[in-house]
Amino acid sequence: MSNTSQSGEPRSVRVVIVDDHTIFRSGLKADLDHRMDVVGEAGTVEEAIAVIAETRPEVVLLDVHLPGGLGGGGREVIAGSAALLGTTSFLALSVSDAAEDVVAVIRAGARGYVTKTISGAGISDAVIRVADGDAVFSPRLAGFVLDAFGTAPADIADDELDRLSARELEVMRLIARGYSYKEVAKELFISIKTVETHVSAVLRKLQLSSRHELTKWAAERRLL
Amino acid sequence: MTTAVQRPPLVRSSDRMIAGVCSGLADHLGWPVKYVRLGMILACFAGGAGLAFYAWLWTMVPTADESARRNARRPASPIAPAVSLPPATESVPQAPDAGPAPPVVGSPAVSGNPPVPNGAGASGPLAGAFGPPFGSPPAGTTTSGRTSAPAGAWAESGSPALQVSRFNFRRIQYGKEILLGAGLLLVAVILIARQFGVDVPLGTLIPAAAILGGAAIAWMQLDETRRAGLVDKTKADQAGGWVRLAAGLALVVAGVLVMVSGSGSWEQTWLALLASVAVLGGVALVLLPWGLKFWKDLETERAGRVRETERAEIAAHLHDSVLQTLALIQRRAGSEQDVVRLARAQERELRSWLFTDAAKDAGLLAERIKAVAAEVEDAHGQAVEVVTVGDADMTDRHEALVQAAREAMLNAARHGGGTVSVYMESTAGSTEVFIKDRGPGFDLESVPDDRLGVKESIIGRMKRHGGTATINSSRDGTEVRLALPSINAEGGDTRTGDVRPGDTRTGDVRSGDVRSGEVRNGEPRQ
Repeated sequence: MSNTSQSGEPRSVRVVIVDDHTIFRSGLKADLDHRMDVVGEAGTVEEAIAVIAETRPEVVLLDVHLPGGLGGGGREVIAGSAALLGTTSFLALSVSDAAEDVVAVIRAGARGYVTKTISGAGISDAVIRVADGDAVFSPRLAGFVLDAFGTAPADIADDELDRLSARELEVMRLIARGYSYKEVAKELFISIKTVETHVSAVLRKLQLSSRHELTKWAAERRLL
Repeated sequence: MTTAVQRPPLVRSSDRMIAGVCSGLADHLGWPVKYVRLGMILACFAGGAGLAFYAWLWTMVPTADESARRNARRPASPIAPAVSLPPATESVPQAPDAGPAPPVVGSPAVSGNPPVPNGAGASGPLAGAFGPPFGSPPAGTTTSGRTSAPAGAWAESGSPALQVSRFNFRRIQYGKEILLGAGLLLVAVILIARQFGVDVPLGTLIPAAAILGGAAIAWMQLDETRRAGLVDKTKADQAGGWVRLAAGLALVVAGVLVMVSGSGSWEQTWLALLASVAVLGGVALVLLPWGLKFWKDLETERAGRVRETERAEIAAHLHDSVLQTLALIQRRAGSEQDVVRLARAQERELRSWLFTDAAKDAGLLAERIKAVAAEVEDAHGQAVEVVTVGDADMTDRHEALVQAAREAMLNAARHGGGTVSVYMESTAGSTEVFIKDRGPGFDLESVPDDRLGVKESIIGRMKRHGGTATINSSRDGTEVRLALPSINAEGGDTRTGDVRPGDTRTGDVRSGDVRSGEVRNGEPRQ
C-alpha cells in the first residue's frame, strides 16, 4: 500500500466502524482525526458484512463482541468478509482483555487488537498503521503472544512458524513493557519499518502457527 | 381463669429413668413424676398397654434438644403472634369454632395426644378402656374453668371435620400424627366392635384401608418430590421416594383388586388385573402426549427459573457495584481525577468478576502484582496497565520484589502522569518486572541526596534479596527494571546471559537519547 503518511499529502483512509453501541461509535468517530473518513457504520454481524461488502473500506474497526449472526461476533464478520481480506484490514477493538476473545479474532485474520480505552491519537495511529498493512499490538496482546509462544527464542531446527525469533521476542517484550513502535525502534537501533516487519511476522505466526504449545495454550483458554 | 394454659411443651426430659418419657409427661401435665411412673407401670399390666404407650411416646416425642433445634429452624409463623398475642381469656368462649385461645405450643400436643393412647391401645384388647381416661384429661386441663366444657365436648365428639378445620388452622404441623391417630382409633373401634360380637365387614374394610393408605403414601411422595424439585434439584433420597411410590401403588392396586374381585379367587383376580392393565394402557396411550407436554413445560419452567436466579445474581452484583459507582461518578462529575479513579476501580472489579478463572491459583506472583497495581491506581487515579507472562510462587524474596515494584509504581503514578505500564515476566531462571511511565523524566543530578525512597525502597531492597534494580530516565519517560534471579540460579540475572542480546543491551547500554544514562542509584523525582 502506498498511502504512507511520510509523503505529507492529505489523504483519507476509508474506515467502517462496527460496534453495537451507538454512543461508542459516535465517540470513536469524533476521536479519529482528519486522516480518516468514516464511510459506514454497523451494529450487528449481518449489517457489518453488508456494509463492508458495499463500501469496501481500507480499515474496519471491529468490536469483538457483536450481536447477530451465529454468535461469533467479530470473528464471524471477518469470516464473512474473507473475500475482501486482501484489500480490507480489520483492527479489533474490545473492552474485554480475555485471551480467548483477542486471540480468536486475531487468528480469524484481524491485523491488530487495541482496547477501547485507547486514546484518540492512539486509535488514529493504529488505523493508519493497519491501513499501511502493518500490525498493531497492544501491550496486552504482546503479553498473550509471549505467553502462547513461550519466552525462549527459536532454535534453527524449529519450524519457523512455531517459535519467535530472538529479535521478535525482543520486540514483543518491549511492546509488552509499554513501548511504542518508535521507542522500540530507538531501543533496538532499528528503523520503525523493521519493527513493523517484525510485528507483522509475529502476527502471521500467531495466525498460522499450529504449534503444539500454542494449541495447548489455546485449549486451556478454551479458544479452539 | 386460665392458669394452666402456659403448659411446657411435651418433650422427653433429661431427668430420666429409661428414656425420660415419664418425667417429660409429668412436666407437661404438671403432675408429680412419681404418679406418672406408677401409672405407667400399672398400665403395663393392663395387657401391656403401658409398654406400648411408653414405646410410642419414646419414638414420637422429641428430646428437649431436638425440639429446640426444630423450633429454631422454623421461622416464626406469620400468624403465630396474631394467634397467641390476644389474651386467652377473651377468645376462650369461641374456642371450639375459632380455636385461637390456647397457645400454639400447648394445643397441638393436646390434639396430638388423645389419639395416641387409643392407637397404642389397639395392640391390646383393653384399648378402649385405656383410651378415654388418658385422652380427655389433657383436653380438660388445657383450658380450665369455663373452657373445659367446650374443649371436652370437642374431644368427645371427635368429629373429623372439626379436627381437620382445627389443625388446618394450626398450620398442619401435626397433621400426620392426627391422621395416624385417627386411623389407629378407627382400628381400635373396629377391634372392640368385633370383641363385642358385632359383625364388621373386614373384607370390605381392609381393601378400602389399603387403597386409602396407598394413595396417602403416594400423594405425600408426590408432594415432597415436587417441592424438592422446585426448591432445589438435589434428589438425594429419590430412590427412597420411588420405593415409597411403588409401595403406595402396590397397596392401591392390591386393594382395588381385592375389592373388585370380591371374595378373591385367584382366577377372577387375574382377569381383573388383566382388564385393568389393558384399560390403564389405553388411558396411558391417550394421556401420554399431555403428560409429555406437561413434563416439557415443567422443564422449561425449571430452566427459566435457573436463568432467573442467575439474572437476579447478576442484577444484585451490578446493583452493589456498578450502579453505586455510577451514582458516585455523577456526584463527583466535577473532578476528573475522581471520575477516572472510580471508573478504573469499577472496571477492574467487574473484570475480575467476569473473567477471572476460578481454576487459576490465587496468591501467586502475578496476582500480587496486579493487586498492588490496583492499590496504586486507587490511590493516585492513574491507570496502571499490568501485563504478565508466566507466574511464580510467592516467597519472601518475591514479596520484596512486589514491594519494590509497588514503590516504583507509586513514583511513576505520582510523577509520571498518564498511564503506567507494568510488565512482569517470570521464567524458570528469573523474574523481571518493568515499570514504565511517560512522564517528563527526571535529572538525577538535581535530586538531593537525602531522598531515600528509590535508594532504599527499590534498589536497596532488591539488592538485599539478591536482585537488581535499574532505572532509566529520559525525556520520554522513566523505566524501572527489577530482576530477581531464581534462588537456585547461580548469581546475577541468568536471563541476560541467555540468547537475548536485546535485553542485555536494554539493561546496560541504553545510550539512545537517555539523558541521564544508566542509573543504578537513582533518586525519586521531586
